[in-house]
Amino acid sequence: MSDINRFLDKIKREDIKPKPKWQFTTKNILVWLLYFCFVIIGSISFSVILFAIQQTDFVLLSHFGHSKLELLLSVLPFLWIVLLVVFILGSIFAIYNSKRGYKFTFSKLVGFNVGLSILLGTMFFIAGGAGWFENAFALRAGFYESIQNRKEKIWQNPEKGNIAGIITKVFDNYIEIKDFDDNIWQIGIDSAFIPPSVFLELGEKVKVEGVKVTENEFSAKDIMPWGGKGMRKKIREKMKNRLKQNK
Amino acid sequence: MFITKDNCKSLSDKEIISKSIEELDYFKCLYERYGNKLKRYITKISGFNADEADDILQNSFISIWKNINSYDDSLKLSSFIYRIVHNETISHWRKLKSKEKRNKQFGMNMYIEEDKNEDKIKRNFEVKEVLDKLSLKYKEVLVLKFLENMDYEEISNILKIPEGTVATRINRAKKAFVKIARSKNIKF
Repeated sequence: MSDINRFLDKIKREDIKPKPKWQFTTKNILVWLLYFCFVIIGSISFSVILFAIQQTDFVLLSHFGHSKLELLLSVLPFLWIVLLVVFILGSIFAIYNSKRGYKFTFSKLVGFNVGLSILLGTMFFIAGGAGWFENAFALRAGFYESIQNRKEKIWQNPEKGNIAGIITKVFDNYIEIKDFDDNIWQIGIDSAFIPPSVFLELGEKVKVEGVKVTENEFSAKDIMPWGGKGMRKKIREKMKNRLKQNK
Repeated sequence: MFITKDNCKSLSDKEIISKSIEELDYFKCLYERYGNKLKRYITKISGFNADEADDILQNSFISIWKNINSYDDSLKLSSFIYRIVHNETISHWRKLKSKEKRNKQFGMNMYIEEDKNEDKIKRNFEVKEVLDKLSLKYKEVLVLKFLENMDYEEISNILKIPEGTVATRINRAKKAFVKIARSKNIKF
């Protein structure tokens, strides 16, 4: 039997059928679905990293002397950094396995996927989704401590000169705040630097740097806004109102 | 259905594919058209003897048949076929390489017998000798580019690497080829 008929004979004898087209189409669709999932999760991870950076008090790094590294490690969002790297690698793998993925060089694939995750992640962050997502994630994942919780812990440290909470009373030379453990503190503000972005009003959430005087008294050196979602907009509006009142 | 060589000649590659899906006998037109070329290609990149090359070719055609529905007609059919044959050859080559069962000398003889011209035989022998010293990634691009006369796009589609990488690899392969040829006092 000639070579040409040998393989035809084998195909007929063993009744070898071509794989159906839908298998290839489905595989292709799955690869792209996987790619989009990876890109979306990668983007969300990047947006949460941005949110973590926004929530980090870099001013504390310069004040913390011997424990700068400790503070840095406590504020770095390791989980999200790992997720970002894993899902960017996943998206590169998925696109490489698409029909024409091999046409791109590795550097182009990395550049494109990193760029896309940064772009979408930044958009999600600007839209305010990162804080919401991170908070929702923290509520559902027991092992995970939210960025806000970690920030509150850092600022619930009167012995080291940091305290934060919600203003409950305002007087000429001191304010009262309720901290995150529901303790009431009297904060002396005579010698404190209070930037224009801080509004000493009831219900305002503020951070205070200073010195603990007694068990419920604190002398402030700096008072700062707590920061967070929509904070900048809120501050801008309040400053506009203040300017209008002054006129 | 009996398909003659003349039937095959009148069909384009794409027609052969679509007719094969309906009637298996048309599939042998692909063998008519590409069989010898592919067998030569297998020998060139692997150094396998004629029997081994035949086996690989048989398996490759069965694999082409199984995957015929994955053929994307924006590609040249030759790229699709060469890709499958290439993968079959490499996987067979790796299997044998790990067992160290390859018989390069036999493959070389079969390859040389194709030309009766004495100078050409000598030249082919020298080319083969140098090619065999090259790593697989260099050998495959040189064979596809200079022995199979394919362009960068086709090579890119067969080896599934970007065209830029094909160009770089050919460039490096040429340098490596010249270096080996010089070390053996072979002039090109």
